[in-house]
Amino acid sequence: MISKESVPGRVARVSFLAAWLLITVFPLYWITITSLKRPGDIFTFPIAYWPEHLSLENYTGLFRDHQFGVYIANSLVVAAVAAAAATAISMLSAYVLARFEFRSKSALLMATLVTQMIPAFIALGPLYLLMTDLDLVDNRLGLILVYIAVCIPFCTVMLRGFFENIPDALEEAAMIDGLSRFRALFQVLFPVMKPGIIAAFIFNFVNCWNELFLSVTLMNSDDHKTIPTALNGFISSFNIDWGSMSAAAVLTILPTMVLFAFASRHIVQGLTSGAVKE
Amino acid sequence: MRTGKATLALGIAAAMLMAGCSTGPSDGTVTLQMVESLTNPARTKLLKELIAEFEQKHPKIKVNLVSPPTNQADQKIQQMLQSGNGVDALEVRDTTVGPWSTNKWLYDMSKDLKGWSGWKNLTENAVHASQDVHRKTYFVPYGFYGLSLFYRTDLVEKAGFKKPPANWAELLEQAARIQNKDKRQYGYAFRGGAGAGNNVVAAIEAYVADTIDPGNGYKLIDGTSIFAAPQALDALDTYFKLFKKASPPSSVAWGYPEMVEGFSNGSTAFLLQDPEVIATVGQSKAIKKDQWSTAPLLTGPTGKAVQPLATAGWGIAKAAKHKPEALELIKFLSQGEASTTFTKENSLVPILKKASEDDFYKTGPWASYVTMTAHPDVYVAVPQPRDVPWWSEWSQKSDAEVQRVLLGKMSPKELLAGWDKYWTEKWKSGS
Amino acid sequence: MEERQLRGQPDVTLSTHQQVERPSPEGGARPARKSAGRRPRKPEFTARRGLVIAGYMAPAALFVAAFVYYPMVRGSQMAFRHWNLTDLTDTSWVGLDNFRAVLEDPAWPTILGNTALWVIASLVPQFVIGFAIALWLRRNFRFRGLYQALIFFPWAISGFLIGILFRWMFNSEFGVVNDLLQKAGLIDHPIAWLAEPRMAMLAIIVANVWYGVTFFAIMILAALQSIPDDVYEAAQLDGAGKARTLFQITIPYIRTTLALTVLLRVIWIFNFPDLIFGMTGGGPNNETHILTTWMITITQQGDYGKASALGLVVVALLLVFSVFHLMATREKATREEKGARS
Repeated sequence: MISKESVPGRVARVSFLAAWLLITVFPLYWITITSLKRPGDIFTFPIAYWPEHLSLENYTGLFRDHQFGVYIANSLVVAAVAAAAATAISMLSAYVLARFEFRSKSALLMATLVTQMIPAFIALGPLYLLMTDLDLVDNRLGLILVYIAVCIPFCTVMLRGFFENIPDALEEAAMIDGLSRFRALFQVLFPVMKPGIIAAFIFNFVNCWNELFLSVTLMNSDDHKTIPTALNGFISSFNIDWGSMSAAAVLTILPTMVLFAFASRHIVQGLTSGAVKE
Repeated sequence: MRTGKATLALGIAAAMLMAGCSTGPSDGTVTLQMVESLTNPARTKLLKELIAEFEQKHPKIKVNLVSPPTNQADQKIQQMLQSGNGVDALEVRDTTVGPWSTNKWLYDMSKDLKGWSGWKNLTENAVHASQDVHRKTYFVPYGFYGLSLFYRTDLVEKAGFKKPPANWAELLEQAARIQNKDKRQYGYAFRGGAGAGNNVVAAIEAYVADTIDPGNGYKLIDGTSIFAAPQALDALDTYFKLFKKASPPSSVAWGYPEMVEGFSNGSTAFLLQDPEVIATVGQSKAIKKDQWSTAPLLTGPTGKAVQPLATAGWGIAKAAKHKPEALELIKFLSQGEASTTFTKENSLVPILKKASEDDFYKTGPWASYVTMTAHPDVYVAVPQPRDVPWWSEWSQKSDAEVQRVLLGKMSPKELLAGWDKYWTEKWKSGS
Repeated sequence: MEERQLRGQPDVTLSTHQQVERPSPEGGARPARKSAGRRPRKPEFTARRGLVIAGYMAPAALFVAAFVYYPMVRGSQMAFRHWNLTDLTDTSWVGLDNFRAVLEDPAWPTILGNTALWVIASLVPQFVIGFAIALWLRRNFRFRGLYQALIFFPWAISGFLIGILFRWMFNSEFGVVNDLLQKAGLIDHPIAWLAEPRMAMLAIIVANVWYGVTFFAIMILAALQSIPDDVYEAAQLDGAGKARTLFQITIPYIRTTLALTVLLRVIWIFNFPDLIFGMTGGGPNNETHILTTWMITITQQGDYGKASALGLVVVALLLVFSVFHLMATREKATREEKGARS
């Protein structure tokens, strides 16, 4: 229940939200407009805020000159599988961390936090060697495994918050009824936590979808490239192919935006259930 | 039921494994891994076409081209080389050959290439660049980068000049007259960001061209550094005036893309750049083909200019599994049509003697390169010490210090004194 | 007030007599939880309990150990070795020399200061704007879903790309920022944003604020919705004004969320060289370097030993900060709770 809004309050709210919308959306508008200009029209002066000639050339080029469809498919598969697996695995660890007290728990939680502090480049070299030994270089499964590991820490912290908000009486009752703990977790708690799980999945998905360094390091052939690698490929040392890059950027942002739009209710609701009360 | 879920999970994992595994052919076909580092989409496309041609000629060899984004390429290649896995042929540059050969990551091709018929077709520069000081061949160059002056014919004419500038002083004069801040018309596309140091050195070298060590562009004949020469200060005086009087203020931070953009969108009249840029400027819609051309590199008061040739080429990893096949590929890329196509489409100074007879290199923006090749006494090609291990450290140091001068936090004199000290000490302690 | 409905499952109402959410700082035991109406765990089943804990933790632990910790620990040894890519034939053990090289580098104090500025100047506006958005998004309006999707999108772009995008927008001659400011009559002459150290710092911070508001907005919005309506009703009955409600009810209620979000953001902003690298590369004159961009620069020079040492220094700084942050936020919560009880 929110108190009634005064007229100046309303004006302040609406104008603030509108101003921020403008500020946020302008760069998006700018990439979109750039992507719709003819390749030669991108740099004209004075600056054109609306393209003189709309053209889809940059988009068709992505699929004609580059295997952009393949990159999208790779990114989708890798991000979706890794995000789903990381969410499932994190549910187990988060559950334990929320429900049990044990001696090494604080150490585990600190170790989780430390993973967020490590600069990636320290680990890249040894990781490449490890993946070479496992014969998982240039292999989507290899990338998925690494992404799962990278997603787990934050996802665990997040899901732990959800579990803490759900009374343990819930699964205890189910266990008294004869369900195993594992089944109680997935059959009783899962439905209750659905919004939170969706939110966690989306966090994971977006992180994997945008990941660049691991993907560059572990993938070689063009058939296995993900979108961020392809996007960075438009930046060469002497030129940035703005037309292709902005078209690719728009195509990259679109799926995550759609995901956000569909799930924004879930995200907020999910986090509401307590993720952030960690 | 608990085990049921676990089995399911295992099953999924196994299925993923199967899907991820690639099947290898076993009919005697060799698959080469080739890694490029100066990646750009157009070049990658061209390389793939050349590779397809090669594969047609050698049906038992397949080439898998790995094209990491330029910004991340060196790091990735180093990891691959260090792991001793996954690279056969690779792009080696004059800046990377030093460290990579020191680390024993590169294969010395000199024995294999002894008596190769291709040598006689290469230019003197190309043959020279393919050998390091110990006469080892870690890469065969695919082309050269050299500087020339891109200029706007219309703006020069409108400002009342008959010819493009031939030396640094003339450039300052012309650029300053063309500059008109209110109309957003600027004289010179100054390089203040990444790579700033190199252009400063190019200016200094032109001023000391008479006494420069022909084997090392950073040394004088007497063994001292070029930065200690009194003429160096004159060079900086003119060069930094160019920034104050004739360049856009934001060029303090301009690197390669901004400079090229500043010229191709018509806002600056002069640009000192590699021939690669010819293709980019040629695509510009803001300036038409008859509005620009190139002139030879600027000379100093000596009447000479020093061309700081930079190069890159193809080499073989020491841990390569298929060296003979990789060698075939490199030979193929360094000869005939393949090489000519590659240098033409990438706007590189060619490695083949015959190429300069091609009409392509005699006309338009390329004419200035022919002029420069025809007058090696005026446009002296001197190798730069780009293969020293401290080169990347130097690049970052020199770029940052040029910016300090531009921002008024350091005097040109201090800059030169520091650079002289840096190189003198490095030479003393180094090999 | 303690009666809370379980969200997401309105048909199950349980009174758990929980206190207002206590922060459970990482590493802290939570005695209050146990005393607050939860059945204490049965200690008889310790062996079985241990198995459950180990079994459930195993997959996550294995993944993180194999693909995060193992490479990291193995990579960290570079920090104690002479490890220079320009010559890897000699990678001898050098003890703490690399750390000394970092701390004695003349650039160290300046870059440390820049890092603090970068973190604080990015964090505060992100927090304030994010908070305001969250507060004002609570009220439903038409297209709120669309609005959220639109303003949340910066978070879906990679930092490096944002850097490059903003580099062009802030370009002084052809950039759209100057053009807009001039059209609005706010400036007469184009500002050379990325050419002047202070302006460049401002520009990268603006870009980072633009990027980071989203995370705060999402997290805070979510937390705000967890405040039961009856709390506000009670406040209204007490005649509390808007400001008082905000500071005495809203903020204390979601304080633990705020604390955790701030902690995570500090760590992430600290470790966010991508944007700066795309935008200024640390220039002009190295004056927009933060510790992590400096680290990249050092790796590019090939000195992985020194860069790794710097990386471990960063981890140490963040660890110390985290511990203090957690202690501070926890202490405050405990104190207030005691006050509330007495």
